[in-house]
Amino acid sequence: MRRVEPVTALIGPLALVGLTALLGTATSLSTRTYFITALINVAIVVALYLFIGNSGVLSFGHISFVAVGAWTAGVLAVPAAPKAAIMPGLAHLLRTTTVGNVPSLAIAAGVGGIYALVVGLPLMRLSGLTAGIATFAILEITHNILRYWEKIGPQLNAFSSVPATTGLLQAGVGAAIAVVIAFAYQRTRFGRLLRAARDDVAAARAVGISIYRQRLVAFALSGALAGLAGGLYIHLEPLGVEDLYLDLTFITLAMLVIGGANSLLGAVVGALAVSGVNYSLANAENGGFLQHYPGTHLVVVGAFMAIVLVARPSGLTGGRELSVPRLRSDKVEP
Amino acid sequence: MIAGLTVDWQTVTDAVALGAIYALMAVGIGLVFGVLRLVNFAYGQLIMAGAFALALAGEWNWPVWGGILLCFAVVLVLSLLMDRLVFRPLRTESPAVMLVATFAVAFLLQSIALLKFGGLGRTALSLASLERPVTIAGVDIRKITIVAVAATVVCLVTLLVILERTEVGLHMRAAAMDFRTARLLGVRASRVIGGAVLISGFLAAVAAIMLTVEETSQVTPAFGLDDTIIVLAGVVVGGLNRLLPATLGGFAIGFAYGFLGGALSSNQSQYLPSFVFGAVIVVLVLRPGGLFTRHGQGAIERV
Amino acid sequence: MSEPALVVDHLEVRHGAVDAVRDLSLEVDRGEIVGLIGPNGAGKSSTLHAIMGLVGVRRGDIRFDGRSLVGRIYGELTVEENLRLGLAGRRSRSSGDDHLERAYDLFPIVREFRRRPAGVLSGGQQQQLAIARALVADPAVLLLDEPSLGLAPTIVDIVFDALASIRERGLAVLLVEQRAQRTVALADRCHVISHGRLRVTLTPDDAEDTRTMVAAYFA
Repeated sequence: MRRVEPVTALIGPLALVGLTALLGTATSLSTRTYFITALINVAIVVALYLFIGNSGVLSFGHISFVAVGAWTAGVLAVPAAPKAAIMPGLAHLLRTTTVGNVPSLAIAAGVGGIYALVVGLPLMRLSGLTAGIATFAILEITHNILRYWEKIGPQLNAFSSVPATTGLLQAGVGAAIAVVIAFAYQRTRFGRLLRAARDDVAAARAVGISIYRQRLVAFALSGALAGLAGGLYIHLEPLGVEDLYLDLTFITLAMLVIGGANSLLGAVVGALAVSGVNYSLANAENGGFLQHYPGTHLVVVGAFMAIVLVARPSGLTGGRELSVPRLRSDKVEP
Repeated sequence: MIAGLTVDWQTVTDAVALGAIYALMAVGIGLVFGVLRLVNFAYGQLIMAGAFALALAGEWNWPVWGGILLCFAVVLVLSLLMDRLVFRPLRTESPAVMLVATFAVAFLLQSIALLKFGGLGRTALSLASLERPVTIAGVDIRKITIVAVAATVVCLVTLLVILERTEVGLHMRAAAMDFRTARLLGVRASRVIGGAVLISGFLAAVAAIMLTVEETSQVTPAFGLDDTIIVLAGVVVGGLNRLLPATLGGFAIGFAYGFLGGALSSNQSQYLPSFVFGAVIVVLVLRPGGLFTRHGQGAIERV
Repeated sequence: MSEPALVVDHLEVRHGAVDAVRDLSLEVDRGEIVGLIGPNGAGKSSTLHAIMGLVGVRRGDIRFDGRSLVGRIYGELTVEENLRLGLAGRRSRSSGDDHLERAYDLFPIVREFRRRPAGVLSGGQQQQLAIARALVADPAVLLLDEPSLGLAPTIVDIVFDALASIRERGLAVLLVEQRAQRTVALADRCHVISHGRLRVTLTPDDAEDTRTMVAAYFA
């Protein structure tokens, strides 16, 4: 079914983003981090959705784009003096270049997109299980390289001295940008062609759609968004390579699945809902009734995801966008 | 020294041991895939659970065989639960969805272990005596190597007999080749799947026991995770949907890792994972059925 | 009067949101071949799958005393292994070796090749193997799902001859087919199904009557 989403489908996700940012302003400084993280999660999950939702192809590797974006923004944004001290092995170009906040984010998005494009060139011919395994291999390779290659980053150490510029505003704007771009992409010819190919491969081919090319476009674009999210993330807290690896891959995939992998609203709802659960449980663990059970929130999220997959694979939103209900004057016979 | 690598018999025998254990894991993963078309990402957590059982039995001062029995019991029960609660309901979904589901189960189990045992985990020392070497023909071979190889050979031969000579084995092979026709002929799906799950679990338990000696006696919630990921790579490269190539792939990658890990200096072996997973991608793009399968035997789909 | 070997009684099968089979009734007695023909998507396969228990029955009843489907053979398994697979559907708890012997007697070619991979058999031989495998389960009813599909006419002869001799031995056969004319000529009765419903029943006398055939098919 090929229909152009009404612009109202954009309102829901944007409203949720705005609401989260607003709520965040009303909280104390310590809990504010959760809200900012939630917004960054929205950006990541929307990036995931842009590719997975539209193409129907699984990707386990998107966190590598987040990591690459984080690395890029971090390395470029750390001021020159601490940079030489923390990352002595850095390549000359990176050591001598320092950029401001917004440029670092833009470059992060760019690098993320280019990396995704390069990775996608061989991979976009795959689908189904092989795509899942191949993208997982990308995650492993990226993790391996980032961990050991001293020329591009701090390896195992956490990225310290990155200016902490990601507050509610920056995260909110970043999430909003991701949402708008994903929405715009859906409405373009690219998005429609890709979804057509997702729904009926044979018919799409018969009509002459190059599935490979459409997937590559979506992959690269989603890589750019993921890179942006990584840039936002590194400007929030000192991250290490292990923070951008399996656990984050799982959590963000869980968010997409739980919210509903087939709609933009689902991506946003999933990210915020799981972040919310995370927040309340983490609170309870930090000093509330769960304080003797650290790690409960992981168990709950994991269980939730398994349950959703088994019982309601289309997720909380059931794959539907938010639309204004229209009254029908006629009924169509099936 | 050979071409810059530091080689001694110790390295070779250790690599053989690791290869043997990985071969068992490969069979476990390949068997379930053949029958369910499901890549069980949570296989590593089965191994983790078994290792924890071994560690706990040690702490409770159980005799060694008691710990081993507990390990088997825990892994088998967990396997059956996984199958009943997660795999069966999702059987009609695409393989990609099932992969995500096993991913979820893996994460869930790891989180539960983290909750219960904390990040430091426990120590499984009951079989530590196998660490000690035995001198054969002037070469020091760790006892665990002999045990691992022997266990692998016994398990694989037994499995071969089951598959080739018994009715259940025949049904399993037919189901792996063409499940629909098998069901049409009256083969009971639940029995075939249950059998595969049980055997797979059995092998996981054996692997768990071996790994606590071969790799580390420190059992953390991440125990077996890296091994499973590496074995998966080996199975995919070898050939996912036929048992022999999968086993060869598992052994090859175990041996390669063990050998190169021991022979290369720590600096050189850093990027080993990248090469391994690079090979995975190359194989998936050029020869999705696997390296050791004849062309056209793969059941993996491509656009 | 004993009950027929296979009774399908007002069967209704749903396939997703569509009624694949509606109010279908037929019977197959011992020693007769009943054909089920019709265009693609008419509901023939769904009927078979319902009888084999692979799909749920929405309404209606199916009664049989041991049924067995002639299906695809496994090229990579040996001939004997293919036959042993047939034992999976047997009714009795016996070892089944005598069943195997009987299948070998009926199809000598199968005995000759028993240890070879089934893939080396010719097309006609593979069909014989498929039938032999179904007989191994000692069924009262034999079900066939378009056995002539993709086969050369000479091989179709072999298959249909085998079915005729099976009929003589007293088995009941439900033959689902696309090749209308040959099926009508062979079967004692031939039901034409279209859009899930039985339209008309033809006998061998109608096999030469093209007009009736066309009318029945495209009704």
